[in-house]
Amino acid sequence: MSDQTNEAEADATRPAPPVDAPDVVEALETLPRRRDQLLPALIAAEHALGWLSEAAIEDVSVHTRIPLSEVYATATAYSELRLEPPVEGRWHVCTGVTCRQAGADALLDALAGSGESAEPVDCRFLCALAPVAERGGALFGRCEAQRLIALAVEDGDRS
Amino acid sequence: MTLDALRAAHPGFEGEVRVLVHGGTCGHAVGVAPHGGFLRQSAGDACAEAACDGACWAAPAATVLRPGHSHRFARLDETGVEPLLTCLAGSCDARADDRGEREHRGGLMSRLGRTDGTLAGALAAGAYEAAARALAMAPAEVIDAVEAMELTGRGGAHFPTGQKWCFATGGEPPVLVVNAEEGEPGVFKDRHMLEGDPHRVIEGMLIAAHATGATDACVYINGQARRARAAFEHALAEAAEAGILGGDALGAAVALTIEVRSGAGGYVCGEETVILNSIEGQRPVPRFKPPQITEAGLFGRPTLLNNVETLAAATLLFDPPAAPPKLVPLSGAVARPGLYEVAVDGQATWGSLLEAARGGAHAPPGVGSLLVGGPSGVFVAAEQFDEPLEMAALGAGGLVALAPGGEANVTLELARYNARESCGECTPCREGTVRLVELLEAPSLDRPKLDELIDVITEASLCQLGGMAGRPIASALATFPQAFSNGAAGAAE
Repeated sequence: MSDQTNEAEADATRPAPPVDAPDVVEALETLPRRRDQLLPALIAAEHALGWLSEAAIEDVSVHTRIPLSEVYATATAYSELRLEPPVEGRWHVCTGVTCRQAGADALLDALAGSGESAEPVDCRFLCALAPVAERGGALFGRCEAQRLIALAVEDGDRS
Repeated sequence: MTLDALRAAHPGFEGEVRVLVHGGTCGHAVGVAPHGGFLRQSAGDACAEAACDGACWAAPAATVLRPGHSHRFARLDETGVEPLLTCLAGSCDARADDRGEREHRGGLMSRLGRTDGTLAGALAAGAYEAAARALAMAPAEVIDAVEAMELTGRGGAHFPTGQKWCFATGGEPPVLVVNAEEGEPGVFKDRHMLEGDPHRVIEGMLIAAHATGATDACVYINGQARRARAAFEHALAEAAEAGILGGDALGAAVALTIEVRSGAGGYVCGEETVILNSIEGQRPVPRFKPPQITEAGLFGRPTLLNNVETLAAATLLFDPPAAPPKLVPLSGAVARPGLYEVAVDGQATWGSLLEAARGGAHAPPGVGSLLVGGPSGVFVAAEQFDEPLEMAALGAGGLVALAPGGEANVTLELARYNARESCGECTPCREGTVRLVELLEAPSLDRPKLDELIDVITEASLCQLGGMAGRPIASALATFPQAFSNGAAGAAE
């Protein structure tokens, strides 16, 4: 399923991509060069790099043949695409209605008070296990600050 | 090929006793892995991983299944595994027995998290029986049957599904788009279905495709529902390999190509035209209507868009429950938050639903009100808990049980959320949602101005994010006027 209109354009007309992240280019090469691949390309680039740098966005623009301004406008429209490098080890604490009622704000305060990096995020859709936090892509339910801090210490000891 | 031949080609687990360790997103978020590892060592091949069965409150959990016997062990810990092993050996400790409300459940959740996640397991539990029967019927007969079961869209709008399918026929074959974005805070039903019974969704898609003539489909899954996407793609691969997709394994050939896409966040991305723009590579903003998407939708083609739960419910075509079922994700101030299947039969009430979640019936002390429908929803006060449930009032189904006294604070949070999530495409929503927050944050409430603004946003917004942004505010003001005597911010402090 796709709009095939720009697929037939010759690769020879394609400018060299602004490579500063070979992983991004490699990830994009698995996707067809079509407009409808814009969001899959942005997700693939973010997955490869951990975030969407200016160069990664340019790579997506070149790969999909969509103007850079449009790619940037689209990348900034999705709340889960990151345009800043992630902070390693940061806790993302869900502040949806259920989690807030279950003590998300106190959890944020306790994490910050223990020197942990933590920020509020919108609903993580694990409401039945509130309060919920996420770290490094892993979800944690029924969170208690002391348990999260202990987990962070364990991870620190291992690394 | 026949369904019997398909089953014979995919034999499932042949032992009499099975242990299902409920992993999935819920189980893994509360550390099921060590218990699963221990049980695998103890039970060997009888032990398999299943998804969450909707009893999220029970996680980490495991269920022992034997003929005529189902026994879920909730909240496994070091001491909880021993009774499970005793049960496995054939002797159940009655004190440890969690007689879950779903032991004899049927309908939509009958297979949810109750199989080992394989096609063989799904077939043994009855998957694809409805599709095989539907494929033997004329498409118009299938649509008539869907109309007869009075199925309505479970994404929240509750438009009659048979009518929608009928609109999609008669011209160019439609493309089927499945809305699995589910970006409404408090809602987690579709991702449970995709994780715990993905073959039911595929089966519903096959029935819809046969009825409408669709030959290609796109399933748009919430970007955070990673396990749901993985489980669904695994099921798709198995269905293709078995000849269910693209073959004649169900007795008739179904040429349906299914593509899976992930979203990347945004409440507005659950709106149907936003999904289409997102798939096409356009900015995720709503489109003007007309044209309706049944005339010109994805890539300008006629488009049939259904919610995951709607398609799952279509598989009940030949054995429709006495009352229409609705999946209800319930969280908040109840002892057993999770996914519930409610028969909307005129008898079930908000209170009976809370009772099922062991929240206690008739305005239990822990629940002051219910938020129904999240940022686009309404409040149901304790005094209304005896009112019967209506399908339209349930919306997409998301329910949050609120502790008494927090309504003004929640109202303000929802208003801030809507302002953050506005895509900015239309002025009434872009500007109006921000002004709503300002009015709620003011030391005293300018009620006439607030009412007027809600009217404008409701009438003039391009899509339902703006169109319903004022709904929880109006509901809170009508239901809990005393809570806003000093403005929402004052009440929240």
